Amino acid sequence: MTCGHAKELIAASWTGEIDAASEAKLKQHLAGCDECGAEMSQLTAMWDRLADLPAPEPSHALSVRWQSTLESLTSTRKQTQWRFSLATLWPQRPVWQVSIAVGCLALGLVGGSFLHRALPGAGSGQDQSEIAALREEVSSTKQMVALSLLQQQSATERLRGVDYSVRMPAMEPDVVSALIKSVNSDSNVNVRLAAIDALAKVSGDPGVRTSLTNSLAHQQSPLVQAALIDYVVDARDAKAVAALKEFSEKPDLNPLVRQRADMAVRQLTQYK
Amino acid sequence: MAAVARGNLASMSEIYERRHRALYRFFYRLTGRPATSEDLVHEVFLRMIRYRHTYQAGDGFEAWMYRIARNAFADQAKKHRLELQPEEGHFEVIEGGGVSAFDRMAKEQDLVLLRRAMRELPEDKRELIVLSRFQGLTYEQIGRIVGCETGTVKVRVFRAMKEMGKIFSELQKERAS
Repeated sequence: MTCGHAKELIAASWTGEIDAASEAKLKQHLAGCDECGAEMSQLTAMWDRLADLPAPEPSHALSVRWQSTLESLTSTRKQTQWRFSLATLWPQRPVWQVSIAVGCLALGLVGGSFLHRALPGAGSGQDQSEIAALREEVSSTKQMVALSLLQQQSATERLRGVDYSVRMPAMEPDVVSALIKSVNSDSNVNVRLAAIDALAKVSGDPGVRTSLTNSLAHQQSPLVQAALIDYVVDARDAKAVAALKEFSEKPDLNPLVRQRADMAVRQLTQYK
Repeated sequence: MAAVARGNLASMSEIYERRHRALYRFFYRLTGRPATSEDLVHEVFLRMIRYRHTYQAGDGFEAWMYRIARNAFADQAKKHRLELQPEEGHFEVIEGGGVSAFDRMAKEQDLVLLRRAMRELPEDKRELIVLSRFQGLTYEQIGRIVGCETGTVKVRVFRAMKEMGKIFSELQKERAS
């Protein structure tokens, strides 16, 4: 038996995938080969020690998240099937299809005209103010939804919260505070990065810029550090130069991040 | 999985219950990061649904699942290369029971070195050790997952263990000095 074949059999012996005949041959080889014998005993001991590393358990949140994803996938599928059954009712002959379309159009025109005449104050200033009030209500509901999502346990939900806040026409102070809090303390790096992107909408606010500059010193993730540096550069915040210089001198800083911080200092110095 | 492939998505619940812990441990031992590992497990189950038509009963479910898991990990690593380097201190050690405080401390120190040695292994070698030592897969199954012959897998696992042994010895010398 060659040493190469012996190595295969040693590996097989670790997982119990070795038959009696091969085991006997291996023993015979090990008895005559000191190098293979030493490797067998050292590596087998290490293989056994690996069993002492614990078996980590996922959090309960993972199961909750998966269950919710599966439910939404199942319900989407049911809706698709329902839509398919409605589609079968649609006539195949173009003559009928055109007739139905014309009929619906006529019905809409007649109904719209009737409603316009029947409702008092239609098209007046009162309508406009009601529409404005409704818009405001929708905007405040969106804000509530965004704030509520930002506090969820699931990172996916919190990312949705950040997305909601970006889509709001004007970012309210409560939402801005919640996003800054996410940048500072969210456990998930992706949420922190998304919150930094979202805050680009309010980079004109000196308070927001200061909060994010201060946050730099507390961040551990190189990606988040780099995103914060880019933020202050994009915001042309010359006041951040001192903080960036101090940050760049941290001994354990990622070299790429340090390089980016130094470059940011040079860029921002030009705006002073 | 055959039921899922036929369109019965509800059967995924049962597959999830049986496999999600093993998948979590697989990712955790590769990355050392609980949150990333959970995100990857979620992604693998989504991909199983998306690519259910690629499942072939004869090929074995484990091999199919771990192939998806490896692809998900590779995609994540490409996107967040900086974030996926296994971190020191994330791997926990077992409490020793029924031994003296000194023995327990020595054992824990050895385990710290062992997990450091594992962390310092190149990613492909660490993956082979995780698949063979912790995931309970046979060399034949691993061969189907990584796409090579069973004999080649055995040799590669042996070499990965040998390299880890070398790193472990160096770390021990470093500690002694």
